[in-house]
Amino acid sequence: MIKEYIENWPGEINTVTIGATSQEGGTRRFSIKVGKEKALPFLFKEGTLPYKPVIAYEIWDITPSDWPEELVKFYKDVWADPLDWAEKVVKEYNADLLCLRLMGAHPEIGKSSDEIVKFLEKILKRIALPLIIVGCGDDQKDNTVLPICSQVAKNERCLFGEVTQDNYRTLTASVLADGHNIIAQSPIDINIAKQLNILISDMGLPLERIVINPTVGALGYGLEYTYSIMERLRLAGLNGDKVIASPFICFVGQESWRAKEAKAEEKEFPQWGKASRRGPLWEMITAVTLLQAGADILVMRHPEAIRKVKEYIELAYSV
Amino acid sequence: MEKFKVTFYPDNKTVEANKGQTILSTAISAGIYINSSCGGEGVCGRCKVILKKGKVLTQPTGRLTLEERKKGIYLACLTTVESDLEVEVPQESRLSFDKLTPQEIELRLRGVYGEAEDIQPSRSLLEEVFVHSPLATKLYLKLPPPDLNDRISDLERLYREIRKKYAIPIMQTGLANIRRLSELLRSADWKVTVTLGKRNGTVEVVLIEPYDTSERNYGVAFDIGTTTICAELVDLNTKKILGTKAIYNKQAVFGPDIITRIIYAQEPDGLEKLHHAVVDGMNQMIQEFIQEKSIDLNDITCVLCAGNTTMIHLLLKIEPSYIRREPYVPTANFVPTIRAAEAGIKINPRGLLFCVPGVSSYVGGDVVAGALSCGLDKEEKLCMLIDIGTNGEIVLGNKDFLVSCAASAGPAFEGSGVVCGMRASSGAIQKVRIDPQTYAVEFSTVGSVLPKGICGSGYIDILAQMLKVGLMDKAGKIKIKDHPRIRETDFGKEFVIAFKEETAIDRDIVITEADIENLKRAKAAIFSASSILLKHMGFDFKDVEKIFIAGGFGNYLDIRNAKIIGLLADLEDERFIFVGNSSLAGARQILLSYPAMQKANELAKKITYFELSVDPHYMEEYMSALFFPHTDILRFPNVKDLI
Repeated sequence: MIKEYIENWPGEINTVTIGATSQEGGTRRFSIKVGKEKALPFLFKEGTLPYKPVIAYEIWDITPSDWPEELVKFYKDVWADPLDWAEKVVKEYNADLLCLRLMGAHPEIGKSSDEIVKFLEKILKRIALPLIIVGCGDDQKDNTVLPICSQVAKNERCLFGEVTQDNYRTLTASVLADGHNIIAQSPIDINIAKQLNILISDMGLPLERIVINPTVGALGYGLEYTYSIMERLRLAGLNGDKVIASPFICFVGQESWRAKEAKAEEKEFPQWGKASRRGPLWEMITAVTLLQAGADILVMRHPEAIRKVKEYIELAYSV
Repeated sequence: MEKFKVTFYPDNKTVEANKGQTILSTAISAGIYINSSCGGEGVCGRCKVILKKGKVLTQPTGRLTLEERKKGIYLACLTTVESDLEVEVPQESRLSFDKLTPQEIELRLRGVYGEAEDIQPSRSLLEEVFVHSPLATKLYLKLPPPDLNDRISDLERLYREIRKKYAIPIMQTGLANIRRLSELLRSADWKVTVTLGKRNGTVEVVLIEPYDTSERNYGVAFDIGTTTICAELVDLNTKKILGTKAIYNKQAVFGPDIITRIIYAQEPDGLEKLHHAVVDGMNQMIQEFIQEKSIDLNDITCVLCAGNTTMIHLLLKIEPSYIRREPYVPTANFVPTIRAAEAGIKINPRGLLFCVPGVSSYVGGDVVAGALSCGLDKEEKLCMLIDIGTNGEIVLGNKDFLVSCAASAGPAFEGSGVVCGMRASSGAIQKVRIDPQTYAVEFSTVGSVLPKGICGSGYIDILAQMLKVGLMDKAGKIKIKDHPRIRETDFGKEFVIAFKEETAIDRDIVITEADIENLKRAKAAIFSASSILLKHMGFDFKDVEKIFIAGGFGNYLDIRNAKIIGLLADLEDERFIFVGNSSLAGARQILLSYPAMQKANELAKKITYFELSVDPHYMEEYMSALFFPHTDILRFPNVKDLI
């Protein structure tokens, strides 16, 4: 009989806490911890994995124009007001983490900083969950809007994003001052991921407040490449490289619903089967694969897909 | 062949192109330089152009998005001319020096057509090791006139007299010399000076002159680099260096690196133009030498060239195109000794041209000459030679083995491709200190005159100091705002090293973020190449006893600062030996010693070449070196505490 080989890792993934309760100076109902893994995903024999991966519902401050019918049908009743949208996922779908994308700030849509701030203030009042807040993707606009949002949400210990190697100073400085965490985005590149973590921590933000977005591809769109980069990052972290030992956030919904196989209408490809199964399956499979690669936070869109992935996590952790 | 007219915008330049010629090569023939880091292989996707009018054929590529395709964007290297065309070359596709205004280009290229400048003579670590036996030796002979008892031929008589001094079994003489021999001997009263040249294993009577000219025998040693050409005028009798000069290689107008030049060589007359550019530069330097030193052109009897393989191909007008194509094979590594005149080099018309043999397509005779002058093959312990040039080369080994590799570093450390860069000549800022509180800059220049620009060692100091005082982050971005020395420009931020009033030129001397990026890439290429070569051989930096640093840095290079920026490994200072232009030093030794030439031949055969481009780990190493000092800070434990 061959003896079972158990890997013993010298390192540990950093622990990041999202959300601050009233005891912690914030107004969130609870906080969420991610990270602290001492083993590869789901390999409970190798070491402890104290925190389950979490799923954040993606909410926008405007009505998305390019979401496919399969998603629209769940949200169209609340899209008139993004606050209702947020409320619906909390009440109806039992969300425990929200990811607000401030798309309205984008120059092409042109919401002012004031409008964004008012929206955020309302969300903070109405929704008591831990929050992830990400910008519109336009560096200049994000650098104006996000620092103000950071101030507004001061001490709520949100997860703010995203910073890149070319644009990290402004948001890092705000997040540092206001007690939040940050998402460091790198283009599927282990070196740049590490370099960005160094740059951010050089500014004084502790490594325990950084979450890495390694940039992911959906099933059929570079998922295996993403997987191997995440695996290498995680292996480096478990081997004791503190600088790179950050938890991962993966924007699964955004990537999956870009895939033609997920969003194409039934009448276009009848042989592909029902859109109501195909779309959520695409998002689910992408999510589950990324969990195997070490994802700590999944940002997702389809309620059914989210429910299934949660079940998967529960099942895996119940062994 | 069908020809078409291609017009490039916004330059509004029209050139003729053959049907099927790529837009990339057509653009170069119009003097428009398009980015193509991959050398036209369709891999890098940097050569995007917009087709305004006309018909083309293109190949599929993943480097263009659907949107870009819809806009009529093509990759210039994958797209061929099939009708008259109108093509727009956007700014971002242009090589960096195209992004500048004409005035700035003029300033940048000033050195290209400028006068040759005096530089420091090269040094050699093994000055006295090789016996004095120049490649061309003059011998004054008084021949006994023939009589009825001594009736051997004029030529045999000459040989007999030579053999009384040197035991040379086989000699040869060209027909031209033999034709005029009889008259010459008699008119000079049998007193002549012969110049003997070591040529391809035999000895040739190169030259026969009336009376005694043996006092006047000169040679020129050249180091022909991609960016810079250096030369030394040497008295072959006394071994004295009479003068040292450097110019920018005039080929730079046809492209900044060897790959673009090889592509240009494929153009009609391309090879011819490249050949003339280098020969003109060399002739200009020789002319200046003879004028300044008041010597006769005819007394320069030989020229020796050490250069990278491409440069030697272009000098001799040999087809270079297979150097850049897999499996990267040059036409020749060992080229025979020829008459300098055959290559267009103007010295004594019968004078000889020697080339130091190369190892491979990307490790040339310049590296062999450098390894020779450092005496790598004599070392007991493991040593490394790092030649920091446009094409950076590394040699690793000792008396038992020698391996080498090359890294395309770009010309930044030679002061090219950077806004205020210059060679290490008079007026170059070579040493810099930045005040940690006020950011005030102190510097010293070559020749202690007012500054004109910044040379490689100056840039190394600047980067290290900016990192230390916190002006720049580890990715190379300037992080301070609101300071009189820091300005925002269209190309990012810049830091003022010397204000206009402190300089000898009519503008501020600055370093820009784009400069920092170029320097970062150069240092990453060199560091990752050395580290991969060590890995290949199963060694680590700490196993290397001596590291010789070569490059056109003038007299000075701050090893500590080079370590801070991650150009050199974090080892004790004592292990580094700065040797300056080791290639030129080696070239001079070979010029002065035939045994050194034999040694160079031996070395060229002995050095094993590693091709980095096929190494799967090289790119990874390079990417992690694109950081100051390195992504893996554990490899720079001492630097860690300094910054």
